[in-house]
Amino acid sequence: MSLSTERLSSRPATSPAPGFASLMLSPARRRSLRQGLLALVLPAVVIAVWQMAGTDGSLFGGVLPTPDRAWQAWKVWAFGSTGLSLNPYSGTWLANLVFSAERVGKGFAAAILVAVPVGLAIGWNRIASGALDPTVQLLRPIPITAWLPFSIAVFGIKDLGAVFLIALGAFYPIVVNTAQGARDVERNLIRAAMMMGAGRWTVLRRVVFPASLPSIFTGLRIGLGIAWTAVIVAEMVAVKSGLGYVLWDAYYVGRMDVVIADMASIGLLGLVSDRVILLIERWALTWRRLQSFQS
Amino acid sequence: MATITFENVAKIYSGQNEVRALDGISLTINEGEFVALLGPSGCGKSTLLNLLAGFEKATEGTLLFDGETVTRPGPDRGVVFQEAALFPWLNVWQNVIFGPQVQGVARADYEPRARDLLKLVGLEAFAGALPVQLSGGMRQRVGIARVLAMSPRALLMDEPFGALDAQTRLSMQQLLLDVWQSLGTTVLFVTHDIDEAILLSDRICVMTARPGRIMRTIPIALPRPRSIASLTSPEFMAYKAGIMSDMKV
Repeated sequence: MSLSTERLSSRPATSPAPGFASLMLSPARRRSLRQGLLALVLPAVVIAVWQMAGTDGSLFGGVLPTPDRAWQAWKVWAFGSTGLSLNPYSGTWLANLVFSAERVGKGFAAAILVAVPVGLAIGWNRIASGALDPTVQLLRPIPITAWLPFSIAVFGIKDLGAVFLIALGAFYPIVVNTAQGARDVERNLIRAAMMMGAGRWTVLRRVVFPASLPSIFTGLRIGLGIAWTAVIVAEMVAVKSGLGYVLWDAYYVGRMDVVIADMASIGLLGLVSDRVILLIERWALTWRRLQSFQS
Repeated sequence: MATITFENVAKIYSGQNEVRALDGISLTINEGEFVALLGPSGCGKSTLLNLLAGFEKATEGTLLFDGETVTRPGPDRGVVFQEAALFPWLNVWQNVIFGPQVQGVARADYEPRARDLLKLVGLEAFAGALPVQLSGGMRQRVGIARVLAMSPRALLMDEPFGALDAQTRLSMQQLLLDVWQSLGTTVLFVTHDIDEAILLSDRICVMTARPGRIMRTIPIALPRPRSIASLTSPEFMAYKAGIMSDMKV
């Protein structure tokens, strides 16, 4: 009898009543929820202080709009009617965002298509390394901003110029990281493949490439960040559309609320595209994730 | 018929301090024979295996496999590495069929064999597992199965059980005895474990270091089939005592 009461009394601690259970989160879920809330604290504080400091219109001599005005500007920019409005930005947000994203997509894809094979060649083959690596290292210190006049002169005020700058900027981190990954492949893995009858090409495709993937993804993430920098720079100078163009144009006509909304849009887009790469990486490198989790 | 012949083979690593890793190695291994290279670390036994595997080139002498000079690695000499060296991004099944696959063997030919081999090493339930999800002993079983999937003329094993705990090592030795009993492949087995060398091999080559030389060759006449129970027989102990005095341990 005493045993059964003891059991009863200890029950709520180990297994809560079913009605309450649906509200309970697993410890892992609770931890990620807490991390998510924690991440929001600092931005919320910054925005709140900025809002309060700016309400009397005196922030930096009235130049800087408050967050709520930037938010209003974004709403018109995103959802306002086009054409009839006096506001030239009204309703053009999505179109400009697509212009920028498309350029980044094209330039980044071109960078991957060239940088991954070149990087593998540099890391895997001594002749390719000797022939290509010095040139890559020689050109790498030239910032993409320095390529702007060259790009405009060669490609004109056109899409291709922007795509060229983006591809060039993303190329270097991808090629350098891919080459490093290919150089670092464990010797016994290559020996094992050769022992099983794999020729040089098969070793490259089935051993060196998958073994380099962790480094390649590191390069992709750095390269994508540079691609977003490049697209804004290119659009400010070399084309007449996109978030970068709007940014510079809005600054010229004194629409700082649009400038702020534009900056936030760029940041958000960069964050989302980085998460996409991260998701692909997690899917492609399951073996790697298990390895690091267990060690 | 001799499968493997070393004639006066030397391996010298040039550099600031020239190292004679192997010197005057002459050794013949017959078809179906199980030979162990036994010696302390640094005696060149792994180097000798690497020469035969085609991973490294001999500086002097000739090295023949099936009557032909060894120039490069190939599927006729299956190598089992100490750390298994499985491809971490491929699952167990994909690792086992890698050899036949890259050699262009038809799927219908290698699949039944690969399935039998997985069963032979007791891993048929783990075909879809990644190497990182396996224990060290299981990884080494995959390493053995993937080599056998190529039906090699010889197995070259480089301290394959050296990194395993004592119990797992015993069960792996038993497994290798069973496999070898049924397949009869020529084996060159590198180890620093005296018990392991006596238990497994027909002949032990005891090596010394700097320069790496074969000091003595000892035929092991323990009856076959053997099992890990042989480890405690009086004959076994006699061999062990002899080798220990040879190696001055």
